[in-house]
Amino acid sequence: MRVLFFAQLKDVTGCDAVELATSSPLNREQLWAALLEKFPGLRGHRGNVRLTRNWEYADAETQFADADEVALIPPVSGG
Amino acid sequence: MEIEIQLTGSPIAEKISPPQLAAHGAWLEFRGAVRDEENGVKISALEYEAYAEMAVREIRRLLEALSPRHFCLAAKVIHRIGIVPAGEAAIYVGIASRHRAEAIALLGEFMNGLKQAVPIWKRRALPANFVGDEVTSLKSKGIRNQPETPHVVSYNSKIRSLDEAMAEIQSRCESLPAVRVSLEESFGRVLRETVCAPEDLPPVDRSTRDGYAVLSNDESEAFFVVDTIHAADWKPRQLKSGETVRVATGATLPCDGLRVAMQENVERNGDQIRIIKREAGLNLRKRGEDVKAGQPLVQSGVRLDAGKLALLATAGCAQPLVNPRLRVAHFTTGDEIIPPEQMPKPGQIRDSNSILIRGLLQNFPCDVTQKHLPENFESAKSQITNHKSQIENADVLLVSGGASVGDKDFTRPLLEWLGFEIVFSQVNVRPGRPLIFGVNGNRITFGLPGNPLSHFVCFHLFVAVALAKLTGQETPGFFRGKLAENLEDAPCPRETLWPARLEFTNGELRLRPLKWSSSGDITCLTETNALIRVPMNQGSIETGAAVDFLPTQDSASSLSLIFNLRPARRLSYDDCI
Repeated sequence: MRVLFFAQLKDVTGCDAVELATSSPLNREQLWAALLEKFPGLRGHRGNVRLTRNWEYADAETQFADADEVALIPPVSGG
Repeated sequence: MEIEIQLTGSPIAEKISPPQLAAHGAWLEFRGAVRDEENGVKISALEYEAYAEMAVREIRRLLEALSPRHFCLAAKVIHRIGIVPAGEAAIYVGIASRHRAEAIALLGEFMNGLKQAVPIWKRRALPANFVGDEVTSLKSKGIRNQPETPHVVSYNSKIRSLDEAMAEIQSRCESLPAVRVSLEESFGRVLRETVCAPEDLPPVDRSTRDGYAVLSNDESEAFFVVDTIHAADWKPRQLKSGETVRVATGATLPCDGLRVAMQENVERNGDQIRIIKREAGLNLRKRGEDVKAGQPLVQSGVRLDAGKLALLATAGCAQPLVNPRLRVAHFTTGDEIIPPEQMPKPGQIRDSNSILIRGLLQNFPCDVTQKHLPENFESAKSQITNHKSQIENADVLLVSGGASVGDKDFTRPLLEWLGFEIVFSQVNVRPGRPLIFGVNGNRITFGLPGNPLSHFVCFHLFVAVALAKLTGQETPGFFRGKLAENLEDAPCPRETLWPARLEFTNGELRLRPLKWSSSGDITCLTETNALIRVPMNQGSIETGAAVDFLPTQDSASSLSLIFNLRPARRLSYDDCI
């Protein structure tokens, strides 16, 4: 799956997107575990970050599959 | 509610016209400007960033969620992305409603919602002393106005790879509900059910010769002719030893366990025959020899051609379940485009895309509506409004041109205005990078880059995938083949689809790369029957190397095109008289 980073999270990870290969869908915990392993710096942001799956906010039940586009959304500040 | 959403790298226009809706009494406009200080520090500009696809969806979702409570007629939202100097508007919201109260209420709640959920960020503030250099230099580098796409800022994360784009199209397209139509109407359509043999074929033992049927183990010298059976007859009877039945070719044999003696090997005298020469074979087609009852005759997902239709007719399937005829609307854009019969003035070019698209669509039974749109957003919108029902009924909307980087390019805003959600707007391929793909319920749209070769490539790579999915057939994929000649190219950071000719040379299928230097080249289209997939940063590829390719000809014409096969001799008029 493709995981996108925005705003200050780009500075944390040093990139705007990363490919995570997964053979079976991940739940939220598993996805975070994979991300934190790769980018430990994200740990401090986790409480403020919302996950999206295919351009919609994910909820506790969401499964993230290999073909999905996932994004980490830090607090927004548009307008 | 009519909703229009733009994310833009350009300043928001000073004056924005309200929608032409007779019913609206209120037109409320709000502009949120960048202040010259942020957290007590003087600033010159703010830089905004967006997760563009999602931001557009969230804005739409927000407006749609609010509209049942605050009934409004139309809303237009524009948000700036990139660097916005202090004093300029970062957001514009225009709302039309019958009375002011609904519009004011909607605006307040919308802005609150936007600040909660729409993925747009103030990325950084540029301090006041940056005015002279950074902002100006960003401006002069064109970053501020994002020359790549004037209406919508693009990020690397938005660019899809070829595989991603193909997979995404497949995942967003659903097969259209199947319909039952007559055999005559179903030619070229995709069968959507597996049709099985309702009975054994042939349903009975049939003679393959004119002759005499006898018990296969009957060693008699002479036989008594007890009956005659023609092709259409049905005369069951149990033959006894020493009895025979005269049968015609194709006749249904009267019982099991028979063989047919050819009449040439029989001597007849009145009602008596003698078999002069016994044959080794039985001279009959056994019941179920071709196919047994219940076995699949034609599989679901195949395109019905003459042979398959004949089989369906044989099986009595007179109303096969097939995909509906696709309804395709195709718009060309560009003021420089003139009809093929006219003489171009300097700066004008003849429209080749209309007939190209119509031709490429021939492989998919469909009804095509084609129109040319003026290169002005407002006039284009009013022209579309006149044909709204045709567009709303179309399963597929194709727009030629206007997908790229010119100032007037408006395909994306147009598609958004028509209610399409833009899934992606760039693919990392050459040619065809500025390809737009959008969906609106079960309707799909493609914005195709204007030049004919990009059209050709994008059609085969992307549109054909979508059409295959909509019609319920297997989607096209890449084959593996060897190069007949060197493919000379400089390394390119995009995947390239190189026009090629698949030929049968020296007993082998080989791909010959065609001369091609830019996406404006079109002469190669006369020879192209395949596209070679050149990996990104690859550069030249040597003769004999294995490459991926996509055939671009349908099987109907593939024999002559791929194998260079031609009829050995054509009948001339003289032969016929």
